Amino acid sequence: MAINVNTVYQTVLLILNKEQRGYMTPVEFNKIGNQAQLEIFETYFDSLNQQLRVPQTNVDYADRVVNIDEKISIFKTSGVATYSAPYFSLPKESGVAQSTETISTVINQQAYTYTALTSGQLSNGTVQVYFDGVLQPSSAYTINNNIITLTNSPTSVFTVLTVVDSNDFYRLGTVSYKIGALNSQELERVTKSELYHLLSSKLTKPSTTYPIYTYENQQITVYPTSIQSGITIDYIRKPLSPIWNFSLSGNAYVYNSNTSVNFELHDADQTELILKILLYAGVVIKSPEIIQVAAQQVAQENINQQR
Amino acid sequence: MPIPNGGLITETNRQYYAGAQQFYIDAAGAGKTFTSTFNTDLIFGSSDPLNNNYILNNFKIYTSSDALNWLELTPSAAVANTTVIAPIAGLAVLNPVETNQTMTILVANDNVVPGMLIQNAAGNVTYGTVVSVVDNKNFIVNIVVSVPAANPGTSLSLKSASPWSVVGNIVTVASYLALGTYLKIQMNKNAIEDNYGSYEYTRLVDAIDNFLIAYVGPGKLIPSVKRSDVIFHAKRGLQEFSYDTLRSIKSQELTVNSALNVIIPQDYVNYTRLSWIDEMGVQHTIFPANTLTTNPYENPVQDDLGVPTQDSKDSNITGTSQTDAAWAANNPRRISGAFLNEYDNANLLYNSLYDTALGQRYGLNPPTSQKNGWFTINEREGKFSFSSDLAEKLITLEYISDGNAYDLDVRIPKLAEEALYAHILYAILSVTRGIQEYIVRRFKQERSAKLRNAKIRLSNLKSDQLIQVMRGKSKWLKF
Repeated sequence: MAINVNTVYQTVLLILNKEQRGYMTPVEFNKIGNQAQLEIFETYFDSLNQQLRVPQTNVDYADRVVNIDEKISIFKTSGVATYSAPYFSLPKESGVAQSTETISTVINQQAYTYTALTSGQLSNGTVQVYFDGVLQPSSAYTINNNIITLTNSPTSVFTVLTVVDSNDFYRLGTVSYKIGALNSQELERVTKSELYHLLSSKLTKPSTTYPIYTYENQQITVYPTSIQSGITIDYIRKPLSPIWNFSLSGNAYVYNSNTSVNFELHDADQTELILKILLYAGVVIKSPEIIQVAAQQVAQENINQQR
Repeated sequence: MPIPNGGLITETNRQYYAGAQQFYIDAAGAGKTFTSTFNTDLIFGSSDPLNNNYILNNFKIYTSSDALNWLELTPSAAVANTTVIAPIAGLAVLNPVETNQTMTILVANDNVVPGMLIQNAAGNVTYGTVVSVVDNKNFIVNIVVSVPAANPGTSLSLKSASPWSVVGNIVTVASYLALGTYLKIQMNKNAIEDNYGSYEYTRLVDAIDNFLIAYVGPGKLIPSVKRSDVIFHAKRGLQEFSYDTLRSIKSQELTVNSALNVIIPQDYVNYTRLSWIDEMGVQHTIFPANTLTTNPYENPVQDDLGVPTQDSKDSNITGTSQTDAAWAANNPRRISGAFLNEYDNANLLYNSLYDTALGQRYGLNPPTSQKNGWFTINEREGKFSFSSDLAEKLITLEYISDGNAYDLDVRIPKLAEEALYAHILYAILSVTRGIQEYIVRRFKQERSAKLRNAKIRLSNLKSDQLIQVMRGKSKWLKF
């Protein structure tokens, strides 16, 4: 359930070349591809809201709400919220967007430079470092930009495996509470102004049966405050950034499927994705005709989807 | 159908009638968990009967080797309080004291589990704790007081302070449970009785969940609603239904004290009936004094000119009520005109000479012509007050609450469940912007009709009982 990045790239190149209008490099494609993917991804939520307000048919494959939900379901995930009084912190990494790099140590050399992991990945994600497969405490190393410095100078050769889970939290969904074998309870999201009234009213005061939460600054505060564990967060994660990776063969780019990352959007969005990329490609290569044709196609598709 | 099979019944017959859930131990070990599936949630205070919180438990845990003879699992049970031969060389306290060491015993003992206290045989010196178990002879221990070198035969006592615990209906047994034995969760008598007849009700939490599932969502009249709104309207509905629709099941048996009063119950909203009970157990309705007397709410002390007087804090000085005192000293027979017949019971075969004089007095005033006594509600003191003839009498107080006082109250009879849904639906629609008035009116009528149905259902009018009453309709004389 993913759109092959090479298929998209080749199709885009084919259309551009057919019109003899220019060429799009892999680097440009990767950036534009990510932009187009995020743009389509965000429209899912508005489309879902729009379709929920109109009557649907329950005939197979024709229910637009179900169809959109199927597209979103690719990105649905859940994780456990960690308590650090008085807040619960949201799970930041689903584990899908994981990058690794292995380095072999050199005796008496403490600092090593990452070549695959970028400083952006290292600073925004959760980093775990393993020495010969053993997870190390953060005191065993320091990471600055894309350089790791071991605290103790190595006296033998071993492998340093660095695993980075990128922060891919996108949108908060359902928050639930479960303790032991008791039924799972959904928490209700309230604003601060509602909270004060709810806490004051004996009839609506939150309980472990009907807990509530406020959501501020990527942290949730759960009421009653006796709840300090058992909170699970359902959320939408970000799609992985597409990468059309290659190796050079002479002057030619040769597609490397092993190191490439496909688009995560639903297959049904392949056409729209290509059109969106073409739209941006038209801007890049300064071709108003491409922009116009692509924009018309995208608009027509949107009309069809919402009719 | 003893086994729940997907219907609304989720307890086995044994769980319901005997309040017991039994487990077979198919693999020996410590730290096993057992999930309770009773309707009633397990309430856990302590597993030690000597602990004050033990009385909070609404259940007990038993173990058995044959499922016939059961032994309660407490810190003094054999599996939680085992004896081992002390290491002959003893065990020293290591430095630092947090350092763990291995304790090896001569005779294998399966009952040793992590967390056990290591004490002398008398149990008055604690040497340390068992940190983990390597096998049934070797244990990692932390010693804080050195174990003295012992001659063969000297014993150590190993105790679990808490052989089991509960979190969210999952019982975790720290003690070692042998293969082929049994464990039983036994609910206490009160918990069992609270559960009897509970199928008659739907819990309010279930009603709220059902409402959110069935009545709220895209394409429905209520596309979305705050759950706290539903909770509010559900609880308010339960309160309103409690006042005039649901059966009054609250009652207290009390004795009127020599001061002629009883305290109003904590969850009291209104009374339905007060009765005194004769020696046959038959109840006699006590009537409200209404216009006969009252309990003044304030009794300010007045000066010679009739002006209320104040204390040093500028508040009125209050005295005792003269009205209350006069009423307490009154013999109600002076009002009712009743003869001094002391045979105050419902025995039809118990006549006296005085009864021949009945009916000779003219001008009976029906509201005061009764000899069951009077009561008033003393709002000043928060008590029911009684006339003097009810002193030391056994009475019953039947009253209504609002259905929200205790967890057990927060439930709705199934006969009124639909009426509650209609109530919540109407309550939400009536305050929702953009709902046409005719829709609101439709649901108002629906609520009214369903509430009427619920009242009729809960009235418990049975045809054979009506027939029995109506058989006496043509009798002229009734005793």
